[in-house]
Amino acid sequence: MESAGASLANRARSALIFVAPKVLQFVFVIWATYTLTFLLIHFLPGDPVLAALSLKGGDATTTDPAALEKLRAQYGLDGSLFEQYFRHLGGVLSGDLGVSISTGQQVSTMIARVIPHSASIAVLALVMGIALAVLVTYLAFITRSTWVRQTLLQIPPLGVAIPAFLTGLVLIGVFSFGLGWFPSSGTRSPLSVWLPSITLALPVGAIFFQVFSAAVFEAAGGAYVFTAVAKGLSPRAIFTRHVLRNSMLASITILGLQIGYLAGGTAVVETVFSRDGIGRMTVNAVLARDVNVITGVVIVVAVVYSLVNLVVDVLYGLIDPRTRPSLGRAKGSSPKSPTTTSTPAAADSLVASDDASAERTSA
Amino acid sequence: MSQTPSPEPSGTLLSVTDLHIDYVTGGETFHAVRGVSFSVPRGGIVAIVGESGSGKSTISASLIRRLSTGGRITGGRIEFDGTDLASAGERFLRSVRGARIGFVPQDPSNSLNPLMKIGEQIAEPLRLHQKLSTTAAAARAVEILAEVGIPDPGARAQQYPHQLSGGQRQRVLIGMAWACNPELVIADEPTSALDVTVQAQVLDRMERLAKERNTAVLLVTHDLAVAADRADRIVVMQAGRIVEQGIAREVLANPTHEYTQRLVAAAPGLNSQRLGPRVTTGKVSGSSLFAERPTSPQQGPILEAKDLVKTFALRTPGAPATTLTAVGNVSFSVPRGKTVSIVGESGSGKTTTARIAARIAEADSGTVHFDGEDITTLKGEKLRQLRRRIQVVYQNPFGSLDPRMSIEKIITEPLRAFKIGNRAGQAAAARELLDCVQLSPGLANRRPGQLSGGQRQRVAIARALALGPEMIVLDEPVSALDVSVQEQILQLLVDLQAQFNLSYLFISHDLGVIRQVSDEIVVMRFGKVIEAGTAAEVLNNPQQDYTRELLASIPGQLAVR
Amino acid sequence: MSALKKPGLLLASLILLLALLAVAAPGLLATQNPLEGVATQKLLGPSAQHWFGTDHLGRDLYSRVIYGARLSVAAAALAVVIGVLVGAAVGLLAGAIGGVVDFVIMRVVDVLIAVPGILLALIVVATLGFGPWSVAIGVGLGAAGAFARVMRSQVLRVRNEEYVEAAGALGVRRGTVLVTHVLPNAARPVISMAALELGTAILSVSALSFLGFGPQPPAPEWGSLVAAGREFVATSMWLSVLPGAVIVAVVLSVNRIAHQLGASK
Repeated sequence: MESAGASLANRARSALIFVAPKVLQFVFVIWATYTLTFLLIHFLPGDPVLAALSLKGGDATTTDPAALEKLRAQYGLDGSLFEQYFRHLGGVLSGDLGVSISTGQQVSTMIARVIPHSASIAVLALVMGIALAVLVTYLAFITRSTWVRQTLLQIPPLGVAIPAFLTGLVLIGVFSFGLGWFPSSGTRSPLSVWLPSITLALPVGAIFFQVFSAAVFEAAGGAYVFTAVAKGLSPRAIFTRHVLRNSMLASITILGLQIGYLAGGTAVVETVFSRDGIGRMTVNAVLARDVNVITGVVIVVAVVYSLVNLVVDVLYGLIDPRTRPSLGRAKGSSPKSPTTTSTPAAADSLVASDDASAERTSA
Repeated sequence: MSQTPSPEPSGTLLSVTDLHIDYVTGGETFHAVRGVSFSVPRGGIVAIVGESGSGKSTISASLIRRLSTGGRITGGRIEFDGTDLASAGERFLRSVRGARIGFVPQDPSNSLNPLMKIGEQIAEPLRLHQKLSTTAAAARAVEILAEVGIPDPGARAQQYPHQLSGGQRQRVLIGMAWACNPELVIADEPTSALDVTVQAQVLDRMERLAKERNTAVLLVTHDLAVAADRADRIVVMQAGRIVEQGIAREVLANPTHEYTQRLVAAAPGLNSQRLGPRVTTGKVSGSSLFAERPTSPQQGPILEAKDLVKTFALRTPGAPATTLTAVGNVSFSVPRGKTVSIVGESGSGKTTTARIAARIAEADSGTVHFDGEDITTLKGEKLRQLRRRIQVVYQNPFGSLDPRMSIEKIITEPLRAFKIGNRAGQAAAARELLDCVQLSPGLANRRPGQLSGGQRQRVAIARALALGPEMIVLDEPVSALDVSVQEQILQLLVDLQAQFNLSYLFISHDLGVIRQVSDEIVVMRFGKVIEAGTAAEVLNNPQQDYTRELLASIPGQLAVR
Repeated sequence: MSALKKPGLLLASLILLLALLAVAAPGLLATQNPLEGVATQKLLGPSAQHWFGTDHLGRDLYSRVIYGARLSVAAAALAVVIGVLVGAAVGLLAGAIGGVVDFVIMRVVDVLIAVPGILLALIVVATLGFGPWSVAIGVGLGAAGAFARVMRSQVLRVRNEEYVEAAGALGVRRGTVLVTHVLPNAARPVISMAALELGTAILSVSALSFLGFGPQPPAPEWGSLVAAGREFVATSMWLSVLPGAVIVAVVLSVNRIAHQLGASK
């Protein structure tokens, strides 16, 4: 089955077959996101351009069609929808997201400037949230008291029900104004990342917890954990050696959704903490009805979301031997249909001979 | 095996006294085990036999104190080599589990960690209990794989569970159970998820290990025949109590309890009679159901399949697609009023063949004739009209009935589909059909969830009868049922066949079941017909090695011999 | 009775009932006029007179919260209705037709899900203008993708059930099978998901109002009430915390009841 020469070429080929569709999907999502945003902005009632210009110019806004058309051209919003769509699409693909109506700056420059602020709290929130979820689940798993377990499992769902703006305000009230440990706003101090991150970590951790703990406790009642218990392993060893990886596998698929949640969450949290960041920029853009910035932000978020999903997909393939591309050895049996199990059945009949002959003659 | 004198009982290893176990779910208490006492001698093999719900698996799990959620030992002692496990501390239990008591679980496909290499999983208890170094444990794991009969053990140790067949995985689990040379191995339905031929090999392997290492084995099984083949003593359980226990051969030869007698009578491996109808043939019992049935003057076979071929495209991510021939050039015919059975193990293509014959699946090539008419390419309304003449009963009575419909609605659904009769007439037909399958008409308003497996399968049969078909395709109709229920359903099918002159195409993996209903048998393997002929020819004078192997694998023969 | 055995459920039902009463007839629960304040009584702490205290204009916060229920809960309910109707229709279509139609529809749904709900809502709000109803439409559209996906997967699951194949083998027509077997069995998970989504929608609507895109002052809404209290966090924290706590209580109650609906099949 395995010829050494062909194996390398096969490997490269299967890796390509594995990765190519995912990359294609990545490109597709970004294109489709752009298209969807474009359609929403231009086909819902209301003229955002007019609204944005009037917000910007106040009462002095020109109503002279010629002047308006000039302004539209300045922000790339002139011509037929068809022209606009393709002009912008070309820009998006080359990394040019247009000019902001309210500030006149390049949208890509604006986003690039604030993204590190948002990324730092988002990543910190994600790490803290996941760590918290795993810790609570672990404690609930190893405890022998049903009461402690039930209590531990009841707490995290609260995190989903508490609005982030409330958590943020309470944290500011207690830790900034009350105790004075952390700054209440801004991005300057390195300490400023903590309160916003904790605010976001609670819901993010709660969402992750729901999926992760469900996977853990489903596994705990399942067959392979029973086998591990029957081997005499301690609950701690069972968790770390058997349950953790399997449950992580089931949970990492929601990381993409978490990114989505974080993108929305930063809008609220950055407003509460008056922090520079992509979320606050979006809020300001919506307040100014600045469609160019909004489109730019949505595209950037879609890119991040797709990247994370791409990484999750590849990780999944690496962690789970069942979805790993079969490298040379075509042994993977799919459990889809009872009729596809001919290979293992053949394997059973191969080992049949030694037992059958050995035992039946002795009888 | 049981005919060799059992090793001199050098004392009792495990002694269970007056064991009580309760399950508490949602405030309700269920007494799963009610005062059970038995013992296992050193080196002896004891089998606990019972049907689903008898409490046998609860006992096996309680012996290592690992009951599922809500389960609790409420009384009694589990003495293992002098220590009461029912009251022992968790730390002590951990030192017993895997080291002195091994466990072979029921379901080989889910009992191994899918993300851990085989060798590593076997090495785990070795490192834990025997304090072997990582390298020594890994080397020993490879030896163990060889001991349980897995070819190329060095390479297999580096593989993951999904790369092994079901039989191989069960061998791995057996190797794991014996890894630390335990004094007792508990095997909970170790082979019920495996094909018959594989089942026999796996049991042989376990028995050999037990003999070589002088290990006591507690074998938990629903299959009296398996117990009869393998055990020195048999404990028969029903509804949480022991109804009979004793030396295996004596229990089988002279069952004293009424329940055991029924089990012995029902075990397909132990009795091999073709069932006869209990009703007088020809008398169509004044049923209105079959009044409209077209009586065909033709005398040829009712169904004739020729050269059926069906291939599937197999896709594994990252690998080029390959095709699998599920059915390759299969031909057979079903005579009127007779039963033709297709027997085969998983992957033999028997189910696909039946689905093509019933026109649920399409063949790639080949023809199917029903009552002389070519039905291979029927479509739309014509195909729908064919459903009045061919009906299907599925394997899984839990899946084939819509959980939201009442039994009456389910049974009369085909009548509504063909607009037969008015509402009152349909209700009357439902009662009549329930009567046909020996169900109380009081069940008409229940939902499938409130019925037992056997009752559901009767409902499925009643539904199939509603349109007065000439032929019924039965796809493993009893394999999801308990043995004693199996027998009843088979008897019902035989009765109905005589009553309504039905033709059956019967699909099963179990030659013991096939033997009870078949007039002709088709043996399939890997999509091909291996052998075909009358039931007597195939069963008494098989021409092919594989057929002989299948016959030899039917449990219960070692005990009878 | 069985409700008494579950005190949490009882409490949740009570809170939800109060919330619904506040939506239907706020005058019955409120103690003062929500829009008129007494300038001399501004920024008072909670007391017997003013249960939740007063805001910077001397308006009774408790009454403002009661009157705010209508906009908050109604907008969230509208969002869920939009999400379920649009999502279920699209999902049913995709699952029932299958093939190319299914593929194309589901790729669009993928994108709807890829764009975070709140961003989608922001796009809608930026285009339609501010106000509770554009917020509701935005949040509903953001939820529609998930509903479509669940509905489709349920339809596919049920279509693969043996009883559906069995119905075909019995001679039941395809359209009849879809109506009598597929739809009833597929709908239940979508309905219990809709109940759960109401909690999420209340949070999203109040978040958007908090950001200032919802009803414009002086109309009271829970999210905007929290936002209004923001300036006084250092001195009068109850102004933000009490309306916030009401949101939490209502969302928890909705979730509790939704879980109960999902559990009792």
